[in-house]
Amino acid sequence: MLSLNARLLLAASLALAAFLGLTGISLDQAFRASSEAALRERLQAELYTLLAATDIDRKGKIQLPNDLPEARFSQPGSGLYAEVVSNDQKQRWRSPSLLGQNIPFDARLKEGERRFTQFGTGATLLNALSFGVNWETAARGAENYTFTVAESAAGYNAEVKRFRHILWRWLGASALVLLAVQGSIMRWSLAPLRRVEKDLAAIEGGMQERLAGDYPKELQGLTTGLNALLDYENRQLTRYRHALADLAHSLKTPLAVLRGTLTATPDADELRRLTQEQVERMNQIVGYQLQRAATAGRTTLQAPVAVAPLLQRMRASLDKVYADKHVDCRINADNTGVFYGDEGDLMELLGNLLDNAYKYCGTKVRITAQPVSQALHHRTGLVLEIEDDGPGVPPDKVRAVLARGVRADESVSGQGIGLAVAQDIVRAYQGTLDIRASQLGGACISIAFPTR
Amino acid sequence: MRVLVVEDEAALREQLAARLKQEGHVVDAAADGKEGWYFASEYPLDIAIIDLGLPLLSGIEVIRRLRAAGKVFPILILTARGSWQDKVQGLEAGADDYLVKPFEMEELLARLKALQRRAAGWTQSVLHCGPVALDTGAQTVHLHERVLELTTYEYKVLEYLMLHAGQVVSKTELTDHLYEQDFERDSNVIEVFVGRLRRKLDPDNKLQPIETLRGRGYRLTLPRSAA
Repeated sequence: MLSLNARLLLAASLALAAFLGLTGISLDQAFRASSEAALRERLQAELYTLLAATDIDRKGKIQLPNDLPEARFSQPGSGLYAEVVSNDQKQRWRSPSLLGQNIPFDARLKEGERRFTQFGTGATLLNALSFGVNWETAARGAENYTFTVAESAAGYNAEVKRFRHILWRWLGASALVLLAVQGSIMRWSLAPLRRVEKDLAAIEGGMQERLAGDYPKELQGLTTGLNALLDYENRQLTRYRHALADLAHSLKTPLAVLRGTLTATPDADELRRLTQEQVERMNQIVGYQLQRAATAGRTTLQAPVAVAPLLQRMRASLDKVYADKHVDCRINADNTGVFYGDEGDLMELLGNLLDNAYKYCGTKVRITAQPVSQALHHRTGLVLEIEDDGPGVPPDKVRAVLARGVRADESVSGQGIGLAVAQDIVRAYQGTLDIRASQLGGACISIAFPTR
Repeated sequence: MRVLVVEDEAALREQLAARLKQEGHVVDAAADGKEGWYFASEYPLDIAIIDLGLPLLSGIEVIRRLRAAGKVFPILILTARGSWQDKVQGLEAGADDYLVKPFEMEELLARLKALQRRAAGWTQSVLHCGPVALDTGAQTVHLHERVLELTTYEYKVLEYLMLHAGQVVSKTELTDHLYEQDFERDSNVIEVFVGRLRRKLDPDNKLQPIETLRGRGYRLTLPRSAA
């Protein structure tokens, strides 16, 4: 694809060429038109001077003084010529400057008529103005004469040529200047883009973590989006790193126990029992850490998930699994409750909590979901409550139950990592999880996700 | 019980099949989704164990097709990932229960029993029909509160008849669900087992627990009771 630079430069050059070309042509035309008008005016003036000096004698002969008003009429080949001729061709006067020149002035004009003509070609081109005059003489009565004044076009042509030369030189120079200015404007305007590129290269090279500095507002959407993505990526990476480290560390304890057992326990049955126990423990650890790593966590670019339909799906699934228990599960949620986050995370959270509720309840489970809104925050929060009529969690055990799984290497043992997983997911979304006593008689797990 | 196992991991598949056979079940084992779908549509199954991550045809797809084809036997799904998204998806496709790998074989057997019982309309693990109480967990039978000694095959026949109490069970059905495919169908083994059961359940010929419907099969006539 053509680069932005090349596109702008090409477009600007074409526009500039077209604009300057048209300017040149119209200036040229205007100059020629005005030079021609000036030429005619000069010829006209010469003609009137000649007319004033002319006299026709009684026989109709054309008389002009030897001492002509314009000296160039008297110098042969001077470039300024004149002819006066009666329209019947009987009388003719030619200026001394026409000596040795053969120029066929053939205009025969009526009184008051005026004509502008050109004779010859190239170097010998002449511009001529002819004018018809009626002259009354005693001998011949009224008679028409045609006065013609001609001037060599060499001077005029040279003038036009000189003008064109100057014109195009200046236009060319200004085109170059304009292109240079255009080029620097472009460099200046596109500099932020080059900075983004440089920053990205630096990020790729590991020199920096995000796009730094101010960017013009046209680019801010892009750069903040990129930064959000980079931050998300970084957080994700950190989490994976931690999860991996946690996993490795937490597996070391059962491995150590196994090694110790292998060397110290001679009894086969005892060995089998201890191995079984540690394998089960390792299985729990792997499951828990895998779950932690899979939690997507808060993201910036995420469509909200409607909570009520998801709750109904989860209830239908759990009703199937716990069919023998005939659990009466009520959902209090309208369609306004939404969760800003990953659907998989929400399912994992609800799945773990509801599974516990179904497992420990007598027959009743109650789920409440309500949106929370707050001025100036455009993302609503969410309060979820899951209650059951089981034995519940004694207040003094709440802390221990919640702490389980925070330090995975020492706390995951036996059953019930569900709450720890739920707690981790809630934390990933900056929410809070509480355990209270429910009106139903059992536990009430209360979760709050903040507004944003 | 006739059990279909669809599992692509050969070691686990063989372990499962061996254990289920040891428990006295008839096992059809398939290594991929297509084979599983074929077995399930061809054989009279009582229950299916289907892994979710299968080659050729996903577990979810197999379950959907089975349910769409009107198969109502219970399905237990196995999942390695264990995410609730997977579980819910599987249950919504038509499965009845799930187990996350790795699992204890005992847990699997208990789930299978519960599913089978549930499918037959029983909600308790101990089935009561008249004076007979059959504990599907402990695999013991009590008659008038006294322990009744039964051989494995006698127990299987009684369990099947009790699960389907009140319904007619044909000889072919019993054979299909209790024995391997290559069993000689025209032998009178079933008749022998039913005869022995009758004698053990009703030594003085007063109860008449199993009736024979000529050309159709057998029916347990004792009424189902809650406890």
